[in-house]
Amino acid sequence: MRHDFLDRYSRLHSPIHRLPAVLKLAAALAVVLTVVLLPPSRVVLLGAVSASLLAIAWLSRIPWRFLVRRVILLEPFVLGAAMLALFQPGGWRLFLFLVAKCTLCLLGMVLLSNTTTFSDLLRLLKAARVPALLVTTLSLMYRYLFVLVDETQRMKRARLSRTFTPQRTWAWHTMATVVSQLFIRTSERAERIYAAMCARGWR
Amino acid sequence: MSCAIEVRDLGYRYGEGTQALQGVSFAIAVGECVGLIGPNGAGKSTLLLHLNGLLPETGKGEGAVRVGGTPVRTDTLHEVRRKVGLLFQDPNDQLFCPTVFEDVAFGPRQFGLSETEVRERVQQSLAKTGLSGFETRAPHHLSVGEKRRVCLAGVLACDPAILVLDEPTSSLDPKGRRELKELLRQIRITKLIATHDLELVVELCSRVIVLDGGAVVAEGPTVDLLSDEALMLRHSLERPHILRHLHPH
Repeated sequence: MRHDFLDRYSRLHSPIHRLPAVLKLAAALAVVLTVVLLPPSRVVLLGAVSASLLAIAWLSRIPWRFLVRRVILLEPFVLGAAMLALFQPGGWRLFLFLVAKCTLCLLGMVLLSNTTTFSDLLRLLKAARVPALLVTTLSLMYRYLFVLVDETQRMKRARLSRTFTPQRTWAWHTMATVVSQLFIRTSERAERIYAAMCARGWR
Repeated sequence: MSCAIEVRDLGYRYGEGTQALQGVSFAIAVGECVGLIGPNGAGKSTLLLHLNGLLPETGKGEGAVRVGGTPVRTDTLHEVRRKVGLLFQDPNDQLFCPTVFEDVAFGPRQFGLSETEVRERVQQSLAKTGLSGFETRAPHHLSVGEKRRVCLAGVLACDPAILVLDEPTSSLDPKGRRELKELLRQIRITKLIATHDLELVVELCSRVIVLDGGAVVAEGPTVDLLSDEALMLRHSLERPHILRHLHPH
């Protein structure tokens, strides 16, 4: 089964996709830093950053619907954090400003992950001397996320094919079973992967 | 006769108490292609893991395993793993890198080759397995057959002297199976193939070892053993059709 829910558009062809990965990573980090450090009075600058991100999004040919949906998916976390601002005097303004800031950061990251392949990002991290263990962990995580989703789907299908009467208590019960099964299977797989790594000289 | 693999009186018990292997002894000569057959749970995979020193108690258990004259011990593991290339049953366990190139390059990089040598090795193994042009593909975008071939490329890139395969044809379509069979035929190094695909054994292996209940129960030329219907049925196997045509008694 094919999975690309994480970075569906990272292999498109566009002027943005063709840019060197190092440039895109640097730009994304610069956007995040600028936006985070911006004081609430500099609304114009915030507008400028959003305009340039939108221009990049347009140039990258990633469908708008996908970008909007992806940002909305992540928005609950932003709202949760921004809510705290409402408890201060004049909180509304701060609230909106925080939401705008975080949304821009998210958009920047969504754009980065959909215009640069994950293996390119990993290569950059390695070149930037991020500890090898961390890079390996990230690369394994990216790889096995898809395997795990596959396995969950297969288990779900197998369960559904033998579910005849929908019952709430049972649903919770089977849910718990599925989660524990996944946990066991994952740790068993981890052992097999480690064996496979050792077999090819990992030390 | 120089031995590629020599196993003498090998026993192994898993932590939870299952006796997986007991008194297993056999030898495989250099250049031979041997089939390892037997029912589910006979201990085939456990035996293969021993050939790469992949079980935690390596060298401490009973009996001894030698590959290419080197005893498998904690201090010889790297040498042993370089000599023996192991193809795992589930390609997903073996493909752990984000791209095909990275995965095939994993072994050679571990052996400390220079980046140009690594590149060369990867290109060679990908060409050998018919996967040139797959370098930047992600493993989760490949079919099972392609995954299996990438695994094989990753093993071949380590330039092993002995190839050990665990169920290489499971879940492949007939074309994938045929292609893999031809590939294996072209790889002219010592091979040990654990499988339920008895037709593959007939086509590739000159000799078979039958494992059941953790022990070697029979050993001999492929055609003789696989034609012995009583022996086959006794160990949950069967006489492959291909042999019925070869020996119409």
